[in-house]
Amino acid sequence: MDVSGEQEPGRRWMGVGRSRATDSGSAAIEAARGAMTGPEPKLLIVFAAITHDPQAVLAGVAEAAPDVPVVGCTTHGEIGPGGPADGTITVAAIGGAGFQIRTHVATGVTGRQGDAGFEVAGCVSGVNLPHKVLMLLTDGLVRDQESIVRGCYRALGAGVPLFGGAAADGWRMSGAYLFKDGRVLTDAVIGVAIASEAPLAVAVKHGWRTVGQPMIVTRSVDGRVYTLDDRPALDVYLERLDAPPEAYTDPAAFTEFALPRPLGVQRRSGVEARNLSTEVDLVGRSIGGGGAIDPGGLTWVMTGDEQSILEATDDACREALARLEGHPALGMLTFSCAAIRAVIGDDGIQREGARLDRWAGPLPYAGFYTYGEIARNHGIDGFHNQTLAVLALS
Amino acid sequence: MPGSAEALHIQQLVELMAVVSSSTDEASAVQNAVERSAQALEAEVAAVVFEGKVAASIGFPLGAAPNDDIVAVSLHEQDWLEVPGVGRCSVAAAAWEGSNPGHLVLARWDEPFAIEEQNLIRGMARLLELTLTMLRTLAAEQSIRESLQERQRLLEHLFTIQRAISRREDLQQILDTITLAARDLLGDEISLLWLRDEDDTGRARLASAADATGILPGSALTTELTDAATADQAITAGDVVVRQGGIAATEVVSRFGSGPVCASMGAPVFDSGVITGALVVASCDEGKVYGPSDVQTLRAFAENVSLALTDANTVVRMQQAHHDALTGLASRRLFMEQLTQRLAMADAEHTTVAVLFLDLDRFKDINDTLGHAAGDQLLTVTADRIAAQLRAGDLASRFGGDEFAVMLHRVDGPRDASAVAARIATALGKPMHVAHQRLRVGASIGIALSTPGGRTDPVELVGHADLAMYQAKRTDAGGYSLYDAATAARQDTRPGAVRA
Repeated sequence: MDVSGEQEPGRRWMGVGRSRATDSGSAAIEAARGAMTGPEPKLLIVFAAITHDPQAVLAGVAEAAPDVPVVGCTTHGEIGPGGPADGTITVAAIGGAGFQIRTHVATGVTGRQGDAGFEVAGCVSGVNLPHKVLMLLTDGLVRDQESIVRGCYRALGAGVPLFGGAAADGWRMSGAYLFKDGRVLTDAVIGVAIASEAPLAVAVKHGWRTVGQPMIVTRSVDGRVYTLDDRPALDVYLERLDAPPEAYTDPAAFTEFALPRPLGVQRRSGVEARNLSTEVDLVGRSIGGGGAIDPGGLTWVMTGDEQSILEATDDACREALARLEGHPALGMLTFSCAAIRAVIGDDGIQREGARLDRWAGPLPYAGFYTYGEIARNHGIDGFHNQTLAVLALS
Repeated sequence: MPGSAEALHIQQLVELMAVVSSSTDEASAVQNAVERSAQALEAEVAAVVFEGKVAASIGFPLGAAPNDDIVAVSLHEQDWLEVPGVGRCSVAAAAWEGSNPGHLVLARWDEPFAIEEQNLIRGMARLLELTLTMLRTLAAEQSIRESLQERQRLLEHLFTIQRAISRREDLQQILDTITLAARDLLGDEISLLWLRDEDDTGRARLASAADATGILPGSALTTELTDAATADQAITAGDVVVRQGGIAATEVVSRFGSGPVCASMGAPVFDSGVITGALVVASCDEGKVYGPSDVQTLRAFAENVSLALTDANTVVRMQQAHHDALTGLASRRLFMEQLTQRLAMADAEHTTVAVLFLDLDRFKDINDTLGHAAGDQLLTVTADRIAAQLRAGDLASRFGGDEFAVMLHRVDGPRDASAVAARIATALGKPMHVAHQRLRVGASIGIALSTPGGRTDPVELVGHADLAMYQAKRTDAGGYSLYDAATAARQDTRPGAVRA
């Protein structure tokens, strides 16, 4: 542990910049410059609204910060000081001699999710400072994201916490993008080994509870649920919730109805939410999303409200900061679920932002609304839906 | 709410089975078992050990697994594992015997494995043993071209059983499939599944039977356990028994053969850890000798029967805990759970929930004069009539005796709830044909509404509906009454208001 480093100005730092400019290039330049608040920038993490031109964003970032490694993705809303926002470019920078960064990208992920995770985890072997986290940015439109996380675990074992999120596209569901240096990628995973002289801490929380009796997942393949209780999954799910008639026939109405009502899968320590709202098949009557539900398992409908979700926001921040073992925090990365926006609304996410502001105080923080959050401290699972995942740096 | 720890463990075993049984080779079966067992137990580490060597592990950096320590844990020579970056972890290990003995090892950071979790790990080890036995049998036979097709068919047969259990298909069908598969795999003519009488009278029921022609149609055959001697011995021994010769013609098994039965073998089956019967195979072939691999195979099938029985009964027990046995309506416990959740949702949505509390008029008289059977019939008809008036998402419950409660969600207000109460009152007021008599039994109904956004207490809401019901009974039997706080304060004379 480097105690003297904490006294040395700029030994480790984090900064956040944001631009609301509509021109993608100039917005990227403004945000990147705003984020670089210290010497030796080691990494820029770019969160860009889907409305921006990705190539122009990367060109702008490269102009503002030549030779600094860049990763990032498109969003369903950008999180940062001043509250959550749409249409911005928000950039987090970390730097200083007390941090080490290595990145690795895997492409052509669909069909080989586990191997891709295993591959990108290799970047961790390139860092040797005592505190390490592997940050993952994934394409939110790739299925079975659990396998990516599992692949990382196979390579790294239990000793390296995982953190990350799945790129989003503002509910267009047509294509989210990942950024790696000058490249715009889809169907890819980016691994970022972040190593530090001081603790890095991951936490994740959700504010959902189960409703009613469980259903049995009688048929599911690759993250798609075909039948519940031996009947078409779509119908069973909607009947349980007394859904309006249009949700049975209109995909948009289904997604709107299902977003705030995830399915839960039971784990030893509680029920985890799985968002199955985004891939509805009205002909086959099946439902699906980024998270897997195993055949033979029990599943519950879950519900939450603003109060329970905001309590989870507090809990995640509190836990992440507490895990820094008394070291002063430099800032936080905060990845929240896109579906939470559907539950608590645009006003609600402003209140979520206010809670984040309160926990951060004067410290920088940035993140985005994702299509899936990644956070793992213990056990081998680490892909989540409908949660807030926090990485606190010290 | 999520079920008990026992239900969760059965569930986890079934999930593991669904994944492991879909493996097509030994390496992937072992890897799947390692990952899924770690997932189920939220463990940092899982490993499989064969012959003192770690065949697969997860939880350590690539190439850095402390294999000697893992092997020591598998042999119970060490009761911890040091996991880099995590610290010293508690461990659990389970072994399996048979032709390919091995060990499943788990390590967890936060808390030691409870006894029931250790049982779960043993179940997982057995499941893996079964799958590996089948996969290795297939691999060993691959060089013998003529038997390959047959073996493959049997392998598929076994996987079909496991998938059927994991999909919770019809229990009888699953038991028949296992009985038939055991007969096929062991090359015998007879396969019988005996289940002990539930009241432990020393008798047993033939739950499934196959002879040379296939599965025999369902029969109600029961016998003294002593006449099903192989099953009896397996149940007593708690392990596989092999009988070469000495099988009496009077034994039930002799009825199923084409000639005298020459050899028989039985393995005990369990329901929730208790021996409840035995799976028996028998042969009329004079040269039949059961070898160690046959013992292993029968034990594996018996374990599938155990898993199917335990799983089916766990589901039944969960349902029984939630439903009234007579009417099929929700139990009071389930009703209160659902009401609590609906009220929370209503708070978030700013909608209103109504509770109707119903008490049948004259029920006691009918019960006393026509008897309990008629009373039960009356309650069943009442339950059906109440349920027929409700929308999807509403819930009816039998609270006990002749009291019923109904939850209506998203009601527009008192008028809306009163309309439903009126419909129920009308439906219940129509004549009922019970015990060859035409009876008229009305009900008094109390109505209470939640306050939108007011965080209504569910017990209090039911209590208010109960008070309103009492008010209705006093003023207008067969009618309904809306809870009114002021009136209730003046007239709450009912002793012992309902406690949910």
